[in-house]
Formats: sequence, structure tokens, C-alpha cells
Amino acid sequence: MTSRELLALVAVGAPLLIAVVLSIAPRRLIGVVAKTGAVLAAFAGGALATVALAAPGSPLVERWLVVDAASGLFVAVIGAVGLASVLASSSYLSSTDDCLVRPEHRSRAYYGLVFAFWAILAAVPVIGNLAGAWLLVEATTAASALLVGFSGKPRALEAGWKYLILTSLGLGVALLGIVALAARSTAGGLDALSWRELSAVQPGSATLVAYLLVLAGLAAKIGWAPVHNWLPDAHSEAPAPVSALLSAALLPTVLLVAWRTSQALTPVLGQSATHGVLVAFGLVSLAVAVPFLWRPLPWKRLLAYSSLEHMGVIAIGIGFGTPLALAGVAVHIAGHAVAKATGFYAATPLLSLDARAGLRASRGVVRTQPGLGSVLGGSLAALAGLPPSPLFVSEVMIVAGGFAAGRPWTAAAAATLLALGFLGLAHALIETTAGSEAPNDVTRPTGLRVVLVLGAVAGVLLLALTAAAVFLPDSAIAHALVRGAG
Amino acid sequence: MNGALVWLLVGLGLAVVVVRRRSFAVGLVTVQALVLAGAAAHATTGTDVLAACALAARAIALGALLLFVVSRTREPRPIRAGLSPLARGGLAVALALALTWLVPTFGLDTRNVERGVLALVAFGAATVALRRATLFHVLGIVLAENGLALAALKLPNGSSLAIELGVAFDLTLVALVATVFHERIFAEFGAGDSAALRTLRD
Repeated sequence: MTSRELLALVAVGAPLLIAVVLSIAPRRLIGVVAKTGAVLAAFAGGALATVALAAPGSPLVERWLVVDAASGLFVAVIGAVGLASVLASSSYLSSTDDCLVRPEHRSRAYYGLVFAFWAILAAVPVIGNLAGAWLLVEATTAASALLVGFSGKPRALEAGWKYLILTSLGLGVALLGIVALAARSTAGGLDALSWRELSAVQPGSATLVAYLLVLAGLAAKIGWAPVHNWLPDAHSEAPAPVSALLSAALLPTVLLVAWRTSQALTPVLGQSATHGVLVAFGLVSLAVAVPFLWRPLPWKRLLAYSSLEHMGVIAIGIGFGTPLALAGVAVHIAGHAVAKATGFYAATPLLSLDARAGLRASRGVVRTQPGLGSVLGGSLAALAGLPPSPLFVSEVMIVAGGFAAGRPWTAAAAATLLALGFLGLAHALIETTAGSEAPNDVTRPTGLRVVLVLGAVAGVLLLALTAAAVFLPDSAIAHALVRGAG
Repeated sequence: MNGALVWLLVGLGLAVVVVRRRSFAVGLVTVQALVLAGAAAHATTGTDVLAACALAARAIALGALLLFVVSRTREPRPIRAGLSPLARGGLAVALALALTWLVPTFGLDTRNVERGVLALVAFGAATVALRRATLFHVLGIVLAENGLALAALKLPNGSSLAIELGVAFDLTLVALVATVFHERIFAEFGAGDSAALRTLRD
């Protein structure tokens, strides 16, 4: 077994092992086990990411395992968001008594599901086969649906049910496409669906239809419009740390499966077909998200529609496919994860300060809670793409990549929609932080200290990403992303 | 697999869209999966026999689980779908015809099998879209997955076992989670009626 294979095994196995340990650990130790385990699991993910990103030119591509630059990027994001979500979870658990399971099993069930979800998510970027990736993505649905409905409140049950049914049905459509691809393959067995063999399918209209079915099915899970209906509900009703995992880790990780499928099938179907579908999903998602970003929405629903926008931006970047655009995609995935997760973590103290923040837009938080208001504002400013946010740099890189790819009209349309989205979020930023209706309660909200620490770390990470983004377009990582795992 | 068997599977699928009783619909999808398992068991290769075992085990486990849930969540009155059975059946058939018209031949044993697969996926989607009872949503997903199991059995290069095993595992997992939700929805709203789940809108 090579060091990369071992590291991949540890990155996936560590959170899974912690989930098992949590199922038998004494109740009083669950919080400690979860936090210690999260640090270890994040470290394991970080080690794999470091190895993968340090030598992006020599990826490990086997039948069932891939460790390349994209794997490194996604495992790093999942590890970082997983760790922060576990650290932010104790304040969520102390802020409410509502639960889907008996109160005495609450912490055990919650952390067990979070680590199981984490383990399955971490396996997606390193799996070397489309059918294997489908199985893992479907398995994430089971674990995360229970987390979405974890509070057991009627609204959470509704959100969890919608999420479970719509994404399962969508993934059924994706499986139809996968079976069609297997039938079109000249190679035998499941090996035909490995990323490196997928390009051996016979060309033709049936392969194009199979590709469309795979992407349309995955779109339901990624949250691309027009099959995004579950997304705002699940993000707004899930526990805040789970919303962070869903938005910052799950959506882009499933998007990676679409990305790898597109890269593998480009030699067969041609770039205009595979990339065109991604660009179309991206533009539609952006166009659908923008009107919602202009409306006064409850904090978590606003972040959910922002996820729709950002998944659209990433799809467009992948669709452009130039080194510049893909470097922008890499920065965007990392920057979006940091900014979005921080925004969701801040929802726990915000909701403890003002319970109505779950039903209506928050205003003037800085007036009574300057620390919390700063974190909310910082998150929203970064997500809007306000300089020096790395998302500003990544969006410029993606749009410029579109012009470089010879798609000026698409790039111009994306830039226009991004500008409109920016205006909507900028308005929300001003209202949320300095609006006229400040919350009355000035007591210290639950979990504020953790959020302030995470917010400070996020600020440093975002600035570091902005600095790193300048060097990325001509780097070996960007060229490795263009090559893919095929 | 002969044409009659494929159309039997399609007929069972269409019946799920139109029948009223949940327990009857559970029986239909279970019989459908057992018919598939029987067809796989008649195949000559060893992997197909193993795939048949996986299918049969999944069919029996899911059938038992869903019937258990039906018995635990007796509805005070039947949950009527917004459309009559005839209209539901008509829409489901129209969706199936549209899908078979749109999707070209993709390489399964015969075009009949491909049409059967596409029809079952369409009926599954129609069941989710047209039925109000939450348990029917789960049955719609099982119905679509039965169609995909049929497709996996008829793959020319023999990858059916791995796909059947994977689908069986994931489908059982999803069905388990769905039954947890169904029971909580029933406890919270007094009925497993998806019409009660329409408060989250923008």
C-alpha cells in the first residue's frame, strides 16, 4: 500500500471510527470524544490534502481510488468544515431541547450522524468510480436527512422529508444515466465506470442523453436550479452546524462528481456538449438565485439562496474549463466554504438572541451585539464578493476565464448576474448589521464566544486565500485541475 | 427476459400509481422485486444468481419494513390524492411515453427492456408527484429503483451484482430513514399526508 492509499484510507476511516467510538462511549464523555475526534479526523484529512496538493502533477489514479489535486482540495474543505462544525455544535445542542430521538440519546445520535456524514463525504473525492461515487452520494442523503430533521419540529420534518424524497428521486435519475453509460461501455463490469475508463464509452446521442441524466440527477443533490426546491428549506431548518456542512461541504462535493463525469466524457461527447450543460445549469442557478438575494429573508434562508448562487458560479467556472477559470473555481470552493460556514455558525447565537430571526430578516445586529454583527457582516461581505474577499478574486478569474475560453457572451451574462447578486447581498449586509430595527435583547447570546473565535480564524483564512489566489492561475494545481482524473 | 415478463413488471408499476390502499401498493412493489429476482435466478451466470439473492433479500426486507410501518400508522381516513386514479394513470403513462420517446436505445438486451425500465422510472416519479400519502413517496422511489434493478440485470457486460448489492444497501438505508420521518410526521400531524408539509415557502 502506498502512502497516498494509506492516507486516503485514514482520512475516510478516522471519522468513521469516531462515529463507532461515539456509539459506545460513556454519555458524559461524548462531547470530549467528539471534539478530540474531530481534531484527529481533520488532521488526517489535512495530511492527505497536503500530499495531494504538494505534488499535483503526479496523481494516484486507480480503478477505485483517486488522489489528485481536486481530491486534496475537497478533502481539505471537508476536514476544515467538519472540525469547525463539531466545535460549534456544543452551543447548538445547549441552545435547544427539541430532538428527533429521546433526550438521553440526543448528543450521541447527533455527533454519531455528523461523523458518519463526514466519513461518507470524505470518501467521495477519493473514490475512483462513478458508480461508487453514486453510492456514496446516496448514502450521504440518509445520514444528512436525519440531521436536517434533527430538531423534530414540524418545519424541520417538512424540510427533511422534502430533502430525502427529492434528492433520492434525483439520484434515481442519475443512476439511470449511469446504467446507460455502463451499457454503452466497451469495457466489462464496473471498471467501465472508473474515471479513467469512462472515456471508453461509445459516442452517440445515447451517451449524450446518459450524461444529461447523470447531471440532471446530481443537480437535484447539488441544488442547481430548477431542481433546488429542497435547498432553502433544508438549510434553514437544519441545526446551524449541519447547515454549514450541507452548504460548504456537501454541495461542492457532489458537484465534484458532476465535474469528474464531465471531464471523463469530454473526449467522447466534445467540450461544447459537456461544458455547455454545466454552463447552462450555472447560469440558470444564478438567474434564479438573484431575485431571492434582493428580498429580505431570514438569515439562514438568505445563506441558502447564496449557496444556490455560488454553486452556479462554480458550475460556470468548470464549464469554462480554462486554467484561469479552474483556478478561480478552486479559490471559490475554499472561500465559499469558509465564509458560508462562518455565517451558519453565527446563526446559533443570532437565533438565541432573537427567535424571530428564523422567520424574518434580521436588522441592526451591530447596534446591540457588535461582535456577532461583525461576524454576520464579515460572512456576508465575503459571500457578496466585496474586496478583499477571495470570492471577488475568484469571480474575476472565472469571468476572465470565460473570455479566455472564447465565450464572451456567457462570461458577460455571468458577470451581470454576479453584479446583481452583489447588490442584493450588499443591501442585506447593510440592513443586517446597521439596519434600524435592532434586537431588543442585549444579553450574551448562546455560543457567541465560539463564533467570535471561528469568525476571527475565518477572517485570517479568507485574507490568506485572497493572497494565495494571485499565484494560482499559473500553478501546477490549476493545470492538474484541467487534466482531471482521467 | 421475455416481453411478457417486462410488461408484467410495468403493469405492477402502473398499479402502484392508481391503487388506493398503502398495504396493497407495498405488496405490488414487493411482488415486482420478487419477479425480478426470479428472472435473475433463471439466468445462467453465477453473478446473476447472486444478484437475484440480493434482490429477493431487499424485496422481503423492504416489504416487511413498510408493512410494519403501515400497521403502526393507521390513517383515521384514507388520504385522497388530488387526482382521480384514471387521471393519475393517464399522466403516468404520458410521462412514460415521453421518456421512451426522448431516450434513444442505450444498449440493454432489447428495446422492450429499455422501454420497461424507462416506464418504471416514470411511474416512480409520477407516484411521488401525484400521491399525497407520504408512504407512497417512498414507494415511488422503490418503484423507480426496481426499474433500475431491471436495467442492471440486463447490462451486457455483467456488472449487475455490484449494482444490485449497492442499490439494495442504499435503498434500504433511505427507506429506513424515510420510515423514521413518516412515523414522526404521523405523530406530529395526525396523518402521513404530504399536504400538511407545505409551510416552507418564499
